[in-house]
Amino acid sequence: MTRLSVLLLLVVVASALALVHSQYESRRLFMALEAERKEATRLEVEHDRLQVERRAQATPLRVEQIARQQLQMRMVSPAITQYVNAPQGTGKVEARP
Amino acid sequence: MNRSVRSVQLGSSPLLASKTPVWRSKLIVAAIAVGFMGLIGRAAYVQVIENDFFKRQGEVRFARTLVLPANRGRILDRNGMLLASSVPAPSIWANPEDMERDPAKLRQLAKLLEMSPAELDKKLQNEDKTFVWLRRQLDEPVAREILALDIKGVYSIKEYKRLYPEGEAAAHIVGFTNVEDQGQEGVELVFQKALSGKPGSRRVIKDRLGRVVEAVGEAVPPEDGQDIQLSIDSKVQFFAYQKLREAVLEHKARAGSVVVLDAHSGEVLALANYPSYSPSKRVNLSGEQLRNRALTDTFEPGSTMKPFPVALALEKRLVKPETPVQTAPGRITITGSTITDAHPHGVLSVSEVIQKSSNVGTVKMAMQMEPRELWEMYSAVGFGQKPQIPFPGVVSGRLRPYKTWRPIEQATMSYGYGISGSLFQVARAYTVFARDGEIVPATMLKTDQQVQGVRVFSAENARAVRKMLAMAAAPGGTAPKAQTIGYSVGGKTGTAHKQEGKGYAGKKYRGFFVGMAPIEQPRIVVAVMIDEPSNGRYYGGDVAAPVFSTTVQQTLRLLGVQPDLSVKPQVVAKAVEESF
Repeated sequence: MTRLSVLLLLVVVASALALVHSQYESRRLFMALEAERKEATRLEVEHDRLQVERRAQATPLRVEQIARQQLQMRMVSPAITQYVNAPQGTGKVEARP
Repeated sequence: MNRSVRSVQLGSSPLLASKTPVWRSKLIVAAIAVGFMGLIGRAAYVQVIENDFFKRQGEVRFARTLVLPANRGRILDRNGMLLASSVPAPSIWANPEDMERDPAKLRQLAKLLEMSPAELDKKLQNEDKTFVWLRRQLDEPVAREILALDIKGVYSIKEYKRLYPEGEAAAHIVGFTNVEDQGQEGVELVFQKALSGKPGSRRVIKDRLGRVVEAVGEAVPPEDGQDIQLSIDSKVQFFAYQKLREAVLEHKARAGSVVVLDAHSGEVLALANYPSYSPSKRVNLSGEQLRNRALTDTFEPGSTMKPFPVALALEKRLVKPETPVQTAPGRITITGSTITDAHPHGVLSVSEVIQKSSNVGTVKMAMQMEPRELWEMYSAVGFGQKPQIPFPGVVSGRLRPYKTWRPIEQATMSYGYGISGSLFQVARAYTVFARDGEIVPATMLKTDQQVQGVRVFSAENARAVRKMLAMAAAPGGTAPKAQTIGYSVGGKTGTAHKQEGKGYAGKKYRGFFVGMAPIEQPRIVVAVMIDEPSNGRYYGGDVAAPVFSTTVQQTLRLLGVQPDLSVKPQVVAKAVEESF
């Protein structure tokens, strides 16, 4: 009888400790998950920010200024454009060297 | 000494040997029992009777509700280019009550905040305050540097800032938000609800250090704001704005507007005004800069109105394009008032009336029709009607009910006085000619659906008017400067006296040009208005038509429309083969 009781006591204590441990573990993992989520949001936001920045670097105003001033380019006009009619059905023009 | 210690044996301690009264042990047992009863009672009180209360109190101490902010939607152009997007911009605040005041650090802080140390001191002066904004919406890297200074009592709050990469070119369409992320102008205001989304929330348990350790229940995920895709093409928008700005500056005008519509779908490809403003630096903004003139300002459209009564006269079979109209001697008197032409002409055909922009010829045709017929046509093409686009301050212009028209008013309306509308309305009205007699609703949002138009004129008559418009934009017409390389164009000039108070201002004009291209199968309708050009020339054909020409050129090229006029190629074929 006593032995059984002691055994059960040990089992109860062990299970209690296991519960404490698993609770601790779950919180630790949850925290890790939280941290990763935060990082994910941060990266997403950073991605957005970089997209805006890239766009700001490529606005027509900037492109035109650089093209005109640094690269000495000028606007195309129909006079200096060769129009090629794509053959019916293919939908694309083959590039020839 | 040693002996005496040994002599006291535990078993024979006199204390134990003495007989204790039974009541003492009973008393102790009873006391312990009472103690346990108290504990059990308390436990029952905490666990059973007032359980809810304690649970709640516990939760209040470690559970927190976190707000999950929703991201504001982006505004995109028709090709998916960003017109507005939110980026994090932390705001820095301080608690002057308990702040570390190390002069060296404060100097660094002031530098990072871009203010003088004196300014910073002033902000931090009042030590009774516990909250002072130091600077709102800083760039993230700067904010990080500030926090890296590690000054006690200086904190940051996560906030978002709107960025507008297109800057002033698209400012009037896109609008802007205030520091609280609420739309204030333009699309930002109109679509505030859709853009802003709904913030979510979640309950969490935090530990002593403020770390989230457990989630409680289900989280309500935030609903991010929707992206709004406009029909604007940012490149067309930019070119239109640039050309408009050049024209306004060149002609020393007060302002100008340009509207580019897709003739097929009624989509607005570009809508620009000058003066404009930079949405990211909104200091000392004046109403002049903020006003979206193309939509909110009404004016008398002048001669740009003439094709409409002429088209109706064709429709009613009163005239044919080649019917002669006597416009000599260049004036006509209606109920005592005289209407004159700027240059007197002789007998003109109906086509030439438009080409030369004769007031007399137009009036003669308009007077043959009933006021009701004219009124119905003006209404059908959108005059006096609010454009069906959701925009703050959109105006409907003025078209008086036909029952109150006097004959002279019927006459003046035919050449664009006594009737008013916005440039946007005029541009949209011209789609009736571009679309073979059908008018379509204009839209600011990108659509892929086929739009259903409402027929106003027959296709044949619309084409006849287009031919007249092409003549007006050709040599011998009022606006040869509207010509552009490679594309056939057609359009109508207008030069209107500005109304001031009750009368007309002597030397203040507006120059217009409204037209379309390519003229055989119009793809776009472009309307240009230059307000008070004061550098010598003020005719629409001189000030507005060149803007039309360059805008048409760039827009059609960007849309990939093939030139319909043969162009003398300037490509010089070289004998030497180029290597790639």
